[in-house]
Formats: sequence, C-alpha cells, structure tokens
Amino acid sequence: MAGAMTRRSALGTFGAVGAALATGTLSIGTPARAQAQGQSQALGLQESVQDGLKRVFGGRPMKDGAALIKLDIPPIAENGAVVPVSVEVNAPMTPASYVKSIWIVADKNRIPIIAKATLTPEAGQAFVGANVRLGETTDVRAIVEQSDGTLLTAKREVKVTVGGCGG
Amino acid sequence: MSDIGKIRIRVPSNVKAGDVVRVRCLVIHPMEIVQRDAQGKIIDRNYNYITRVTATYLGKPVVAFDLTQSVSENPAFSFALKATAPGPVKVTFVDTHGGKYEATADIAFA
Repeated sequence: MAGAMTRRSALGTFGAVGAALATGTLSIGTPARAQAQGQSQALGLQESVQDGLKRVFGGRPMKDGAALIKLDIPPIAENGAVVPVSVEVNAPMTPASYVKSIWIVADKNRIPIIAKATLTPEAGQAFVGANVRLGETTDVRAIVEQSDGTLLTAKREVKVTVGGCGG
Repeated sequence: MSDIGKIRIRVPSNVKAGDVVRVRCLVIHPMEIVQRDAQGKIIDRNYNYITRVTATYLGKPVVAFDLTQSVSENPAFSFALKATAPGPVKVTFVDTHGGKYEATADIAFA
C-alpha cells in the first residue's frame, strides 16, 4: 500500500488536480481510497465545481437543455440534509438513441458532483430521483449525456435555510 | 445500527403490460459525512457511505447510481422502467465498509 499512501498524501497536498495527475488518468482522477474500494469512477472529491466539471467532462461543449430537462427540486429547502431532487429528460429511450447518464451537481457543495446515474434503454423513460444534501443556497445542475455523446444541462437555484453537509 | 441495510421498495400495484412505471426505493444507512477537527482538517478514516446502487428488472440492468457523501442519510432513489413482463425488480446497494444489501420487489400485472 506504499504507493497508495503516496497518492493519498498527494491528494492532501495538491488537491484534486494533483491527484488526477499523480494517478495518471486524463479526465477522471481516482483517489487511492476509491480505487481500493473498487469504485469505478471517483466522484466524491473535495473540489470546486469548475474543477469537477473539467475533470469529468474535460471541457466538452454543453448545450442548454432547459427545454428537455425537467429538474424537479423544491425552490426553498428548509433542511439541507434531505433535499429531494428528480430529473426527467424528455428524450426517447430506444437502443438507437437513449439517455446514457445523468449527473446531479450542486455548485457550492464541498463535494459538488453528487451522483451519477447510468441508464439503459430498459428504463423506458429517462427519469431518476434521489435525496441529496445541500450545504448552502446553491445552484443545482443536472447534466445529461445522451448515447451519441451530446451533453445537455439545466440548472435551478435552491435556497437552503439550514445546511446539511456539516463539517 | 442493526437497521443498516434495511430496504423498502415501492412499485405501483396497478400495472399493465408496456407501461412505464416508476419505482422508489429507500435504504436505511447512515451515509457518514466527512468530519473535521478543530483546525478544520479532514479526519482521515474510512467513512461508511453507499457508493453504488444498481437496479435490475428481469435480470437486465435498468439503472446504476454512483454516489458520494453529498447524498442524504437514509437515501431514497427513484427510477423508471418499462414493464414488459411480470417479474422481479432487484436493487443492490454497496457501501464503503464492504456491506452489500439487496432486496427485490415483484412487478405484477393487474
């Protein structure tokens, strides 16, 4: 585990970008712990939202998908510890063209990239929902990747009266 | 603590063939968040939270979630699936302490 320890300390020293470089991956940094636990893609890094989006999507162009993506979040969340978020994409789900993955991103969270859902055409409808934590009032974005690689995004502001991320 | 991994799955009861149905599931899990000491430094330990959720219907994958600590305690998820035949929906959760929890619910046609 000597190598892993080096990478872990590199993570602490240089931050997420340093870790991505140290592990030698291009767009997806895999910290030692996530790797040890067999997580396919490191999501839970403490980073700024810009760094996170750059790491995951590598500067690929994103189209405004506000017309297609229905992002359902309460506009005011009294308790940031449990905020129900659901994302519905008005797009076909056939083997030829389907929504491949949906990311949920909260800009001001310490861990901004909250969750990634990978869908298959079996779903019949591009819909996912989850309960998330929000640390403070923030924009919440949904980023949708279609099977042809197109990225669509939509965002909405959520006012949080009591933060839910603690330390 | 003994409740960790208890899963509830809700499927609609009145389903017809070809319907797109929405399934909700909830798991009892602490989803520990990063703790910091007085200096604001992150305490380095193996926090117990769910990293991956997979759902299958009739043995075929429908959806997989990759999660972080930004997901709430006792997380609830929902997803859609196209009901083609009566059969089980199986949901599996994996956490960072090696815990693996699964539950099934049956889709039955009315």
